[in-house]
Parts: sequence; structure tokens; C-alpha cells
Amino acid sequence: MKRLLTTCVMSLLLASGAQAAGFEARAATPAPELKAQDLAGAPKTLADYRGKVVLLNFWASWCPPCLREMPSMERLRVKMAGQPLTIVALDSAETPDEVNAYLSRMKLGFPILLDPDGSNTKRWNVFALPTTFLLDARGRVRYVLTGPTEWDEGEALGVIESLLAELPAAAK
Amino acid sequence: MRFFRFLLLSGWACAFAVRADLPDFQAFPATGQQLLLWVASERGRTEPELQAAQQLAAQGVEVWSLDLVNAYFLPQLPGSMDAVPLQELADWLRAAQASGKRVIVVAVARAAAPVLRAAALLEPAERQRLCVMLMYPNLYTVAEPLAAPDYLDPGTLTGLSVRVLQPRRSAATPWLPGLLDHLARHGATVSQGMLENLREGYWARETPTEFEIAESRRMDAMLLRELNTWGCK
Repeated sequence: MKRLLTTCVMSLLLASGAQAAGFEARAATPAPELKAQDLAGAPKTLADYRGKVVLLNFWASWCPPCLREMPSMERLRVKMAGQPLTIVALDSAETPDEVNAYLSRMKLGFPILLDPDGSNTKRWNVFALPTTFLLDARGRVRYVLTGPTEWDEGEALGVIESLLAELPAAAK
Repeated sequence: MRFFRFLLLSGWACAFAVRADLPDFQAFPATGQQLLLWVASERGRTEPELQAAQQLAAQGVEVWSLDLVNAYFLPQLPGSMDAVPLQELADWLRAAQASGKRVIVVAVARAAAPVLRAAALLEPAERQRLCVMLMYPNLYTVAEPLAAPDYLDPGTLTGLSVRVLQPRRSAATPWLPGLLDHLARHGATVSQGMLENLREGYWARETPTEFEIAESRRMDAMLLRELNTWGCK
């Protein structure tokens, strides 16, 4: 019985460990520069989102895992409405036409930025898609996730809520 | 007479021994003067690759198709490519050159690593006669977000002609200039071909686009076109 209990506890620990391995915590390093344009051609930098927790997602319309997680990012946006959280999806190295073709099929309420020459992708050293960076309100990288997740639940939601909890009450 | 028979038997045994040290490959003979060595990715050889090999052979390009994970009983993982015996691969390249034909190697994904390292083991004159086409090569040792990429050391590639075929729809596309610089720094003469509207491994995707399905049926034409553009005939 004791052995069975130990096995169960070990299994639970291993399972939770495997789940936690998805998000990689970083030591609050300053974020690289973001220089992109939105779909209307307006320039955007991280300064536009200062004071908020930022979920910066690198994606492409040809990448199935990227498209799979998009609806959960939209659900997260709705769930966290009114909170100081900004979701930004930066398309990596595609033309505006390719991005718009996808967006005509999938209505998203968060900003989409363009990186047609891949310069932001290189500055942030993104080697796989999707890759997502979670920035705190001071613009520092706190977590990195390579690969997709369900953003409106579980570990992802917990990590975002922990960053929001760091903010003073006045900012919320 | 007995001595003569002994000599013949010894010769046969030696030939067998040399053959036994080469990786097991599938040959598609043809009478033309080009020999294409197709080294499948770490995921193993796929049916469309075999079809392309047959189509190329029908057009006079001989193909030797090599599946490294199958030949060496390795797991289908990128790391398996580090376990490939490089000397045997180099001997395979030499055996192809011994045919007297123009030898072009096509290596897919992480298979680029052992192919380049085997090419580095060749004598300079042998390497000079070899052309290597890398399809979306994965030569990273470290590729972590927010950190500069680190590429593996392929050895000396002086005299080797390398052409990288990169599907446009790939996370690696923005990194292609850096990869080409890395190969050039090791002595290779590099060039690139961009495969528009395609993703890595487009011939074996779970959810291919119509265009990818069509392109996977004409991989032979794509390779012949690239060989002509490249000038490595």
C-alpha cells in the first residue's frame, strides 16, 4: 500500500514537472527591440504597450500549431478584458496578403503586427514557430514558450495571472 | 591453378568486405552521366522520395537512396545523425565517385550534418568533384530563443560546392544568410534556391496544401531544374 502511494505521489510530481517544463522562466532580462508595423501600416514598438503585461506571439499563417492556439488567445483576450494585458501576434516573414488571407477566415480582436523581412524574428532569436514571450509591465522578458498551448486555461493562464498580480492595484 | 583460385576467392572476399562497410542503400540505375545520392532526413525515407528517385532514373539520372536511420537502426531523431559512422559515409561517397559519373548528394534536414562531415573527410581533389544540395539543413547545435544561434562544426569544406534549398514557409528562412556564411567560412562555395509556397518536408506533411501535393509529385523536375540553375552538371 505504502509502495502504491509512493508511486502515485511520484507520478503526480513527474506529471506536474512535465507540465511546468513548457514555460521557461527568465531572469527578468530587458526585451530586445520590437520594430514592426500593424496591418494599417502604423509603426509599433514595445513602448506602445509599456505599463501592461505583454503576450508577444511569433507566428505564421502556414504553421498549423500557430493557428491551433490562436482561438485560445482570442478567448484569453475576452476573459481578461479590462485587465492590463496586451496580446500581440507578430507574423514572421510573410507578406500582408498572406496574413490578410488568414485573418479573413479567423476574426481576432488583438493586434496583428507584420515582420515581412524577418528582422524582428532574428532580433528576438526565434527559431521555431510558434514562440511566445511574456513580458512584465516594465518590458522585461519573464517567460518564454516554444510551441503551442491553450492560453485561456491551466499553466498559461496561471503564469499570466502571476505577472498581473505583480502590478500595483492602481494599474489594474 | 589452386593459387589462381585462391587469388580469385581472396579478391571476391575483399570486395565483399569493402561492400559490407558501406551503408545499405537502394539503387535506381540509369545510363546517364549523373549520379544523385539522396540521403533521407532523420525521419526516414518516404514514399514520394522513392517515386522521385524512379522518375529521375527514368530520365537518365541514376539515384542511390540512403535512409540513415534504417541503415544503422537508429531512432528517428535529429540526434541520431550524430551517430552515423562518418568513415563509412565517406567511403560511400568515394564508391559513387568511382562510378565515373558526376556525383551530386541531396541531403534532407539533419542528414546534412553527417553528409558535410563525411565530405570533409574526403581528399581535397575528391571533395572538389562533389556537389552537395542541402534541403532545409538543420546544422544548429544550440537554437534557443533570445540567444544567438550556434552551428555545428562540419570540418574543412574547401572546394565543396553546396547549394541550400530552402522552403520559403519555414522558421529557418530568416536565418538562411547566417547559415550560408557559416558554410562559406568552412570553405564551401555556397548558393541558395528558394522553394516558394512550400514548407519543410512538404512531401510528407500531415495536412499538405494542394500545391504541396502537386509539388511532391514533381520533385524530380524541381531537382533537375535546380541542378541546371546551379550548373553542377
